[in-house]
Amino acid sequence: MTTAPRRQHTLEVLVENAPGVLARVAGLFSRRAFNIDSLNVGPTENSSISKMIIVVGVEGHSLEQVIAQLDKLISVISIKEISTDKAHAVNDTQPDYQN
Amino acid sequence: MATHVPTANGTEMTGATSLVKSLEAAGVEVMFGLPGGAILPAYDPIFDSTIRHILVRHEQGAGHAATGYAQVTGRAGVCIATSGPGATNLVTPLMDASMDSVPLVAITGQVPSAAIGTDAFQEADIRGITMPFTKHNYLVTDPAQIPGVIAEAFHIATTGRPGPVLVDVAKDALQKMTTYNWPTSINLAGYKPRVKPEAQAITDAAALIAQSSKPVFYVGGGVIKADAHKELRQLVELLGAPVVTTLMARGAFPDSHPLHMGMPGMHGTVAAVTALQKADLLITLGARFDDRVTGKLSTFAVNAKILHADIDPAEIGKNRHADVAVVGDVRETITALIPALKAALAKSQPDLAPWLRQMNSLKSTYPLGFDMPEDGSLSPQHVIQRIGQISGTDTIFTAGVGQHQMWASQFISYEHPRTWLNSGGAGTMGYGVPAAMGAKVGAPDATVWAIDGDGCFQMTNQELVTCALNNIPIKVAIINNESLGMVRQWQTLFYEGRYSNTSLDSKRVPNFPMLAESMGCVGLACDNPADLDKTIEKAMSINDQPVVVDFRVHKDAMVWPMVAAGTSNDEIMIARATAPDWDSQEL
Repeated sequence: MTTAPRRQHTLEVLVENAPGVLARVAGLFSRRAFNIDSLNVGPTENSSISKMIIVVGVEGHSLEQVIAQLDKLISVISIKEISTDKAHAVNDTQPDYQN
Repeated sequence: MATHVPTANGTEMTGATSLVKSLEAAGVEVMFGLPGGAILPAYDPIFDSTIRHILVRHEQGAGHAATGYAQVTGRAGVCIATSGPGATNLVTPLMDASMDSVPLVAITGQVPSAAIGTDAFQEADIRGITMPFTKHNYLVTDPAQIPGVIAEAFHIATTGRPGPVLVDVAKDALQKMTTYNWPTSINLAGYKPRVKPEAQAITDAAALIAQSSKPVFYVGGGVIKADAHKELRQLVELLGAPVVTTLMARGAFPDSHPLHMGMPGMHGTVAAVTALQKADLLITLGARFDDRVTGKLSTFAVNAKILHADIDPAEIGKNRHADVAVVGDVRETITALIPALKAALAKSQPDLAPWLRQMNSLKSTYPLGFDMPEDGSLSPQHVIQRIGQISGTDTIFTAGVGQHQMWASQFISYEHPRTWLNSGGAGTMGYGVPAAMGAKVGAPDATVWAIDGDGCFQMTNQELVTCALNNIPIKVAIINNESLGMVRQWQTLFYEGRYSNTSLDSKRVPNFPMLAESMGCVGLACDNPADLDKTIEKAMSINDQPVVVDFRVHKDAMVWPMVAAGTSNDEIMIARATAPDWDSQEL
């Protein structure tokens, strides 16, 4: 519950490559009133996993809350916050903060 | 997940038989459902299964019954329906189970895979519809996937923060032949719930508690889900701090315990609401800072630090910043916290006596109470209180939603977990009767009372037919104030008594005892306080049939205390336009 000014964060999200996963992610942002500034989906070297690059406009929610809610989706495998200068691992290979 | 030896592994069978074998392998004993076209192939092997299938009269009843069963047993409840309207009738129970974190597995038939997307007869995108309020859901079009998906569904529903999972199976996947293969293990890359709390978080939590002079235990439904009531009592008695139990946590801590201040929130006790408001630390265990508890969030417990223990990391900081967060199963958390707190208290033991004195003073000055109607008619609160007293603390109570629900949470004494079932987050009118049916199936030796309203009862009472035909002898108390009582109360308080569309005339139509009799139940009525006890005792004496009692009560009774929606908990009213006398309290 921060009321900080609007900030953009870029998330790299690995998801199952399965029907309906885009709807799950888009639906979550919609129903939780999180803002998507842009979203790209592409393949990875593993055909069962897709990569989403989501630019999130954070306003009225914390980035942690966006990531925690996203992480609750069973189809989401891992989430990393990436920026131009450094890649900050929020939830890499063995996510234990999951539910 | 129960691990039955998968003796059928490698056997050729239809997808439908594979589905039923998978449910058996998952340990399912009972399911509630209603067949139709798309799910029909599954109903053929159900005919031969060891699983008891209870044929409901409406799929919503199947969903709430599965929820009642799950809430009483702690195991996943199972409901099953056909495609289209059968599936959409499960939408409300799924949303209800999601809000209250109930482990549920819903199986639905889907139109044949070739017809999906063509607006086929009875086609509905139930996976799309239920995405927002299922923990996960599936659409299965390949019969080979059925055992793996069912195993995953039960795993997801019952582990971590429990919740509903829907499995939609295309009709052709049920009809085709497949080789049955129950999995030996489940590995979901995107699902690894954290059960064991971090050691550092426990140490920090214990230190925070030991520094606090006005702590309060804010106990939520997660404590019941985690079966942590015994550990909770040990922790509470170790610290000696006051306890409040939310609507979803009634029974997690005995009402009779001297440290129990009651329920917080919109209709909470003065002591419980004030304990949270004036505390310097909330020891939050499996609770989620719901708006019905916090009131206006910016004014909630402004001087309190927050210790928040929850299995769902997304609850941490969602509504209120946590000073110390402990993610994990709340029973594991409390178990780890007890020795850590002992060690911390050995170094510094705060004096909680002044704080407890203040809280006990509020508890004795502002007990829950009600006035008897002056016209000699039945008091709804008194009816509910007497049902609780006469039937005893081993009784399981369910409720609908509204005034009767609040009174049932206030005026029945809960001493044990899993004896109070209600629709807390969703507020689903009509929950009471089908949930009682499921509860009685899950606990056949217990007395099960549904405390219902005349409005709620008229939404789902058809499941009494199911109860009568399947030897599920529940008892239903209709608290008949011939209106949508809680809405009417708001109209009294906030709409100048303009009673727009809240009068149900339920003392004229329907005739509830006759309706009950027509459904194979015993129908009783009571409108005189002198007959109250003997009517309840008559209902208690009937154990071979469902019983419905029409308690015709005074319609102007209101639920107090009350914190009006959107206002601060500091503005709690103990009666209309009457605040507690704060000046006489040292706070």
